[in-house]
Amino acid sequence: MLQMIQTPFTEKKMIERAREQAIKAIPPLWPLTNSVAVNPFLGQSHLPFSDAAAMLARISGNRLTLSRTWYLDKINSGHITDQDLKAAMQEPAHAGSAVTRSELARDTSAFKANEHMRATLASLATKQSGLGWNSLIEDRLGAWASAYFDEGQALWPMTAGKGAWASWLSWAQHDLTPEVFGLKNFAKRVQALPEDPDVYICQARAALQIPSAHLGDYFHQLLLGLGGWSQLARYQLWQAELDERDDHTLRDLLAIRLVWDVALYEQYESHIGGKWSAIWEADSHSDTLPEGLREDLVLHSAFEQSKIRRLDRVLRSPQRRKRETETLVQAVFCIDVRSEVFRRALERVSGRIETRGFAGFFGIPLELQGFASDIKENRLPVLLKPSVRASARPVKGARDDKSERYRGRALRAWGRFRMAAVSSFAFVESSGPIYAWRLARDGLAGAKKKPVKNHPLQLDPAIDTASRVNMAKSILTAMSMTEGFAPIVLLVGHGAKVTNNPHASALHCGACGGHAGDVNVRLLAQILNDPVVRSGLVAHDILIPDATLFLGALHTTTSDEIEIFDDAILPSHHTSVAQLKTWLTDAGRLARRERSNTLPRANRGKGIIKRTRDWAETRPEWGLANCGAFIAAPRERTRDRNLSGTAFLHEYDWKKDPEFATLELILTAPVVVASWISLQYFGSVVAPELFGSGNKLLHNVVGGIGVLEGNGGQLRTGLPYQSVHDGEKYVHEPTRLAVCIEAPCEAIAGILEKHEKVRDLFDNAWLRLFTLNENGGLAYEYVGNLGWRTFERSGSEDQLEAVAT
Amino acid sequence: MNEWLGPGLAVMSASLVGFAAVSFLGPGRHPASKGGIPLLGTILVATSLVALVTVVQTGPQTLFLPLHDQTGFSLRLDYISTLLFVLVGFVGTIVLNFSRTYLDGESRQGAFLGWMSLTLGSVILLVLSNSLLLLALAWIATSLFLHRLLLFYPGRPRARQAAMKKFLFARMGDVVLLGGTICLFYQTGTTDITAINSIARQADGSLLLTGSAILLAAAAILKSAQFPFHGWLVEVMEAPTPVSALLHAGVINAGGFLLIRFSDVMIGSPGVLAVLVLIGGFTALFASIVMLTQPAVKTSLAWSTIAQMGFMILQCGLALFSLALLHILAHSLYKAHAFLSSGSAVEKVAQTRRPGSVAIPDLMAIARSFLVAIAIYLGIGAAFGFEHKSIQAIALGAILIFGVAYLVAQGFADKAPRTLTFYTVLFSVGAALGYFFLQRGIEALLKQDLPATPAPGPLEWALIILALASFGMVAFAQASFPLWSAHPAFAGLRVHLANGFYVNALMDRLVAGNRRSRTTPTTPQN
Repeated sequence: MLQMIQTPFTEKKMIERAREQAIKAIPPLWPLTNSVAVNPFLGQSHLPFSDAAAMLARISGNRLTLSRTWYLDKINSGHITDQDLKAAMQEPAHAGSAVTRSELARDTSAFKANEHMRATLASLATKQSGLGWNSLIEDRLGAWASAYFDEGQALWPMTAGKGAWASWLSWAQHDLTPEVFGLKNFAKRVQALPEDPDVYICQARAALQIPSAHLGDYFHQLLLGLGGWSQLARYQLWQAELDERDDHTLRDLLAIRLVWDVALYEQYESHIGGKWSAIWEADSHSDTLPEGLREDLVLHSAFEQSKIRRLDRVLRSPQRRKRETETLVQAVFCIDVRSEVFRRALERVSGRIETRGFAGFFGIPLELQGFASDIKENRLPVLLKPSVRASARPVKGARDDKSERYRGRALRAWGRFRMAAVSSFAFVESSGPIYAWRLARDGLAGAKKKPVKNHPLQLDPAIDTASRVNMAKSILTAMSMTEGFAPIVLLVGHGAKVTNNPHASALHCGACGGHAGDVNVRLLAQILNDPVVRSGLVAHDILIPDATLFLGALHTTTSDEIEIFDDAILPSHHTSVAQLKTWLTDAGRLARRERSNTLPRANRGKGIIKRTRDWAETRPEWGLANCGAFIAAPRERTRDRNLSGTAFLHEYDWKKDPEFATLELILTAPVVVASWISLQYFGSVVAPELFGSGNKLLHNVVGGIGVLEGNGGQLRTGLPYQSVHDGEKYVHEPTRLAVCIEAPCEAIAGILEKHEKVRDLFDNAWLRLFTLNENGGLAYEYVGNLGWRTFERSGSEDQLEAVAT
Repeated sequence: MNEWLGPGLAVMSASLVGFAAVSFLGPGRHPASKGGIPLLGTILVATSLVALVTVVQTGPQTLFLPLHDQTGFSLRLDYISTLLFVLVGFVGTIVLNFSRTYLDGESRQGAFLGWMSLTLGSVILLVLSNSLLLLALAWIATSLFLHRLLLFYPGRPRARQAAMKKFLFARMGDVVLLGGTICLFYQTGTTDITAINSIARQADGSLLLTGSAILLAAAAILKSAQFPFHGWLVEVMEAPTPVSALLHAGVINAGGFLLIRFSDVMIGSPGVLAVLVLIGGFTALFASIVMLTQPAVKTSLAWSTIAQMGFMILQCGLALFSLALLHILAHSLYKAHAFLSSGSAVEKVAQTRRPGSVAIPDLMAIARSFLVAIAIYLGIGAAFGFEHKSIQAIALGAILIFGVAYLVAQGFADKAPRTLTFYTVLFSVGAALGYFFLQRGIEALLKQDLPATPAPGPLEWALIILALASFGMVAFAQASFPLWSAHPAFAGLRVHLANGFYVNALMDRLVAGNRRSRTTPTTPQN
């Protein structure tokens, strides 16, 4: 019957708008082979934080703050002071809300997000029938989607080449599980569905009679309920849009999910029809926040105020005087918060080292063709499209590309022999006992050390001199590094060494697209060491002395070891490099020692290197946990000040940036990347069921791209519990990132005015913004709408606490 | 070594119980007991090696436990039990050691280690038991302790659902096992397993133990997750990874062990063995095909275990008990490693994508590869000598060589370069050699402990031909797989297979009635 109904044109437009609204509201999820942190609230940044909190409670039952007790504990233990509470209540977002101190202290009035969740049709049917329809939908959708998105786990893959809707139709018309479960004629219903999912979405809307004002919201709710599957589809759309293509997977998922709602509606209409329409009558997006939410948000702000107060104090703490020695090494690290610990240690080890912070892909938007590999790796921030291409060449004296591929294919053939029907029996009976050795090695001694081969790199296709000079110029300018070059400039990318960890790529460099940063630094060193490029730079007033050598290096964040790539070490630099290596070793020891304070079982730093090869280790390092601030300023403002690995540090000197072009770049790229990271941590902690990937002990890798928790259901996204919690407390205490920039307020405001999306992040309180003083400490605080006010600190705070040096 | 054995076993038992006691006294986070894991592991491995060396030096023997006069409790030390003892001791040590780090910070790590220690102890007792009652007690205890591990996160509905099915089948298994032991006791008048086996061996058909054999076979089928009682096994990834490793590498083998332990009883009932061939063979083929469709790594491994258990039951049904024991040993080592390292699946899948697309062999290439595989089999077989082998063993070798043909076929595809052909043939020869060596070795070791495979009668011939034909067909289908699998006609079949022919869905409906149930997350929520 449904097919006969023609949807009027205006209605069709309305439904399309609702569909697009829902699709844009879903954040993308990168596969685990190259995962990067994503802001799970990407689609909500146009909404004020508080409205988004109310909205997410309505459609998912999740909170955007921690529990009230958690904050009350912080008050009782003195972390949050009265002054913080006062400051929080004065924030623009909370201004005018009559929240009293006593209301905040009451545990019982906390916001109960799950009680505000609007029912889906499936949950009405579940309640009515007592049958687990919600979990059946999750299970069946997961069964199809895990095969559809599989990148090569199953030897018998689902037939590829079809769109998601067509693929699901051909799956679901054979799947008898819903019938076994009690959903009548489901397979038959699927056979009769239209080929065009858009047509079906219109039909479903007509059948379910969802009011147009709520349609986009309901679609969003359904897609959000699919967990990682819809986010993976959103990723496909993201990639397509970068390539200026279109992708309809997410729309197809919406149509698929609607089939279930319609089927359940028709089966249970006589029982739940009334409740269903009542939902829509009751649901009016009211402007007032639900009960208890305002107080929770104020409490959360107060917690952030306490952190800001501490940040300000650290930024004003006394520094040791800089020794007047000649700088031997300038080391440029990724802005990643893990660099902060190492940089501080390195500068402590020797006064002849200066460090700087820069985006870890070092300005090279690289696509790498790996050695003996068909896979192209995007080693750049996921916001950008690659424009530099390089390929890895064979190492001298080792296998060439072709024979390495043959080796790979032979090993793959053996792997397929292990996994295939019938032959798996032959595999076990002939080779099973070998695993006694492997069990002993991996279980007692630690996984095999993988020798890292640094394949020679080649720009492919080559880039002409003028372009290379331009690239060099803009990278050096963005680094605020156009003069005063030391004899050695160390370019340090980073990556993590871990064993048996599905989330390994999440520990790599986010700016390199979830890969290690080694290739980018080696390429940049190559370019900057090239005499042709250097002479070209002279025309841009950048004079690199002949005695200056650029060296690439890789910081292994799990072990705090730094490897220097010896592509280009000149004989003249041998002694200096040897000296540098001892400094790096010493600094590594200091950094490990510092990290062992929070890392469990780290044995004062001595146990840390070993755990990179421990296959049972679920906490190889804390990653970017506890990231809380982004500071763009000259290093002098943060030098010798203990930020405890919580701050992204970007080198920036506004006095050398007359047009504020570099500032614009910082605000629109590194700040956005840092916000994705910080909000990913935020979401994984406050809404772990929705935006966290659950318990590592139960992870079941699916399709080579993601994890399930246990034996099925939703694809999980975000960070695992073990990455934010040590078993007793949160290691990441969620705060919205405090962006601190040393630059004039007007310059910053001018840039925000130009970039609406960045401005949204600050105006809607997804991030906080401050300017820094030249003397250290916070100067002004952004209050939204391009306005500023002086950062206030109480009288007692002006008395600097003595900090041991 | 002999004189160390008694004290060794006593120390080991005390250590396992003591470790469990300390664990339960501090059942929470950062338990004191975890510091004892290296010592416990050393004791487990050392004791099991002492037991094995004792058997090597002095041959099989029976060890009477204290109170033997009242209870009849004794332990049997022969190659069957001591090889399994070494296996369980070793895998148990690795799994415990893994859990020490893996579960760090868990709020119930202590309890976890406690239950794991008790499970290990009861599996060891099971394999060493020489009296019916002790065996039954260990059998039941293993299942109950494991149940606690499977429900380590009781708040997870899927965990409860799987554990409930497992619990149901396990209790059915307990009942038939108890029935079987009672039957045996009444018919043979003894509870001593060694005595029962020798009575059965000398019975010459005058004593019919078929009833017992049926019950033992039923217990084995229930325990080793044979069709249609396999469903729970693919769902128990709801417990932490080390539980899966222990389950798939230790506990699940109990069914096969039971058949091997009572091989003299079983061999007297050809009809029961025939049923085992049918059920095991069907389960092996069914599950290994379902495995091909599974996109999640642990689920795929679980289907693989069901298939491998089916193959082991098939071997028992063909009266190839020594090969079944080899299969248990080899499979356990592989599967424990596969589960513990399952976090590497992201990297492994990426690895397979790097060297480019897979070359597809055409029908001619597949035919050639079967010929090459058979030639390898005949060549190596001739070198080792076929004449001492039973028909059943030769047939089983042929089945395995069908599997090797798939490896050869990958190197024979038109687009495959010579180097690849060379590698795959080399691997194939290596695999065939490995198989022959292992088979030879285990047969030589177990010659005295196990009955020889009888010459096949008409029923056995029929089964052998059936097995050869069906495994051969599936092997051929597997090798020619890319040529037909994408055809629309098979789309439906793929769906039904991926769903395991709905056995689990039906069981869920029968057992749990599909009721909705509440979830309590395993990690702190907000």
